[in-house]
Amino acid sequence: MEILYCDHHDWLQGWLRRRLGNAADAADLAHDAFLRLITRPAPRGFDSFGEARGYLRAMAQGLCINLWHRREMERAWLETLAAQPEDHAPSAERQAIVLEALREMGALLLDVPPKAARAFLMSAVCEMSSQEVAEELGVSTRMIRKYVAQVMLRCMRAQACQTAAGLRENVLA
Amino acid sequence: MEEAAEWYAHLISGEEHEDDKARWEAWLATSPDHRQAWRYVEAVSQRVLAPLRDTADPRLTANNLHAANVRTSRRRRTLTNLALLAGSGLLGWAVWRHTPLDGFVVALAADHRTDTGEIREIALPDGSGVWLDTAGAFNEDYRPGLRRLRLVKGEILITTAPDAIRPFVVDTGQGRLRALGTRFTVRQEEGRSLLAVFHGAVEIRTGRSGKTGVVAAGRQACFTAEDIQPPVPADPAREAWSRGKLIALDLPLKDVIAELRRYTRRHIDVAPDVAERRVFGAFPLRDIDAALDLLAHAANLRVRRPLPWWATFEAAPNPDD
Repeated sequence: MEILYCDHHDWLQGWLRRRLGNAADAADLAHDAFLRLITRPAPRGFDSFGEARGYLRAMAQGLCINLWHRREMERAWLETLAAQPEDHAPSAERQAIVLEALREMGALLLDVPPKAARAFLMSAVCEMSSQEVAEELGVSTRMIRKYVAQVMLRCMRAQACQTAAGLRENVLA
Repeated sequence: MEEAAEWYAHLISGEEHEDDKARWEAWLATSPDHRQAWRYVEAVSQRVLAPLRDTADPRLTANNLHAANVRTSRRRRTLTNLALLAGSGLLGWAVWRHTPLDGFVVALAADHRTDTGEIREIALPDGSGVWLDTAGAFNEDYRPGLRRLRLVKGEILITTAPDAIRPFVVDTGQGRLRALGTRFTVRQEEGRSLLAVFHGAVEIRTGRSGKTGVVAAGRQACFTAEDIQPPVPADPAREAWSRGKLIALDLPLKDVIAELRRYTRRHIDVAPDVAERRVFGAFPLRDIDAALDLLAHAANLRVRRPLPWWATFEAAPNPDD
């Protein structure tokens, strides 16, 4: 690990800085990447310098996307808040809850086809009937129900993982 | 789990029949697995969906969320494409020069860049100096017969070193500037460039129409690819950023804030009833928090910070009330 760190840390941080345009973020993410390698080492070590670099680059890309996504979610929330009258502003605690929910929902929907994502949001968040959503998206109500079930299944799987992780932590504690 | 998800889709579809509830209960009762799966549905619904549903305008919340995801996916594609290009050694001059990439991508690949809030001096090989303002980017292209910079984003302040043989030029999206022994700033804005000259003179040649004009020391001019606006006296504040200062000489508060926003990722808001207040003062660009406090003081306003990354300017409560 020490060798890995010496060989690659500066390169990785430089790589991230060029992508992110921000030295502080780059340092944070580089740190995260190595932390991740310590807690969850690559399945079978690295045979070569190039292999380690490829692995780190892929991981760093993932971290970049996470960071951008977090920022985008914050922006989405700011825009939502900005459209509301000042005296209706929710409490700081409420805002934190919504932001967290946005992040989670956003992450779950990131790999879902856009139409399915919209169908789910309209049904589950906007509480529109499948008839209304079908008209807006121009597909059948059967398709809408299929989209909703698909996305819900993803959410449930994520929830199941989280519950399992929570249980493990409790056991360890 | 699949069945639970289908039940969920059915129950929220607004098309359920009268006996659906009974059928759903029967399904729940048949197996503990069903009940476990349904608990996941409930957890998702309460923890993630309910907070979004309970916002003032769920439709807007959902739309903004979706738009943010679309933007993230686009950037993700860009990142993976960039990685491919970099891997094959193609990412360089030719690519950014001839491909109409958006500013973000081009800026990623630029030779010199600054973060939001960063102001930096860069020494060029011939002894010329460039200050690069916040969130800026430029490319450097020195050849035997030409010293050329390409401003991609943001603003630069250039002090050229004399060179009898090689002219010094700056290209922007709208045209070419030829320095005639000088100190000047160039700012790339949306669809136009702004030139301010402090010493010597600079010649503008517009990119599309080929119009030329010379801007002398103490003057500034805006130009597009078609046209050059008549020069006006240069605003001395135009080069103050290189010293880390924002100078406001009788500017409306909203303009000062628009300028400050360039230096921070934070959200700065201003109440409409005070947006036009005139402001005098010098504000530190390297410490945005201090700048906000000073600005509030200068304009006799209050800054509210509801969240760490959010500041709102509003009228100070009247002490007599």
